[in-house]
Amino acid sequence: MPAVPDLERVYDEHAQALFAFLLNFTRDENDTRDLLQEIFTRLAREPGLLRGARDERAFLIRLAHNAAVDLMRRRGTRQKYHDQFGEEELSIFAADANPDVAAFRESLSRALAELPEDQRAVVHLKLWENLTFEQIATALDIPPNTAASRYRYGLDKMRERLRPIYDEIK
Amino acid sequence: MKPDDFEKRLQSQPLRQIPSEWRRQILSEAQIATRNSKPETRNKFVSTLLWPHPKAWAGLAALWIAIAALQFANSDSAGAAKKTAPPSADTLVILQQQSRMMAELVGPMPPREVDRPKPRALPRSERRAETACV
Repeated sequence: MPAVPDLERVYDEHAQALFAFLLNFTRDENDTRDLLQEIFTRLAREPGLLRGARDERAFLIRLAHNAAVDLMRRRGTRQKYHDQFGEEELSIFAADANPDVAAFRESLSRALAELPEDQRAVVHLKLWENLTFEQIATALDIPPNTAASRYRYGLDKMRERLRPIYDEIK
Repeated sequence: MKPDDFEKRLQSQPLRQIPSEWRRQILSEAQIATRNSKPETRNKFVSTLLWPHPKAWAGLAALWIAIAALQFANSDSAGAAKKTAPPSADTLVILQQQSRMMAELVGPMPPREVDRPKPRALPRSERRAETACV
């Protein structure tokens, strides 16, 4: 069955970014898959949903963020804690043959996982989506100043956490 | 704000790629799901509307039900009060007999204030004439 052409375009342009954002948020590939499915099913059911969006990427990230927050709420804190610390950490970065690079990426992924969700989301969107604080504010429905301060706090924590390994490989 | 070396270093780390087979799966499942979308869309709308504070909505509903139940109970008791029947003829006879017996035992009682005949109400002009006569 052929998919709606616009849905295919949206998938091709944004699915990778949504995947990375959701994987960083949920730290679970199955949850990420379910959430992506939920978003695209919604887009298929409501074709006009994206029509009013000024910034498609920010709008979709907002949908993804809300869906991920809903999922976490439904699960409850206990399950979330289990997901975060009870199982082996899932890396959000690509694998690398160089052991130093691989170790750094693993540490980075773990350091990100230790950030509070709100800081992690801002750090992710700023560093790997290159969004401005205004765009992040729109995507996460927070004031731009809050986005900037969350980024600063998150980055400082990561700097502190990664200092030993970073100094080593610099 | 320019990124420092640390930020640049982090930015240069490539993220994991989305599995390629997901594209076909997700898009086709999205298509299938749209077939019977109408009732689900309605449900989704309701859940989206109520989602932010489901406990608050549930509390409000419970309060509303309690108020409605209270209102219903009150209207029932008021109706029951209205429906109270007047004393039956037998009861009236018994009461009259009792008062007669009381009169025989105690003797004639002075008429009660309420039983005393009220002075005839006269127009003011006639009352003045009566006073003048006395």
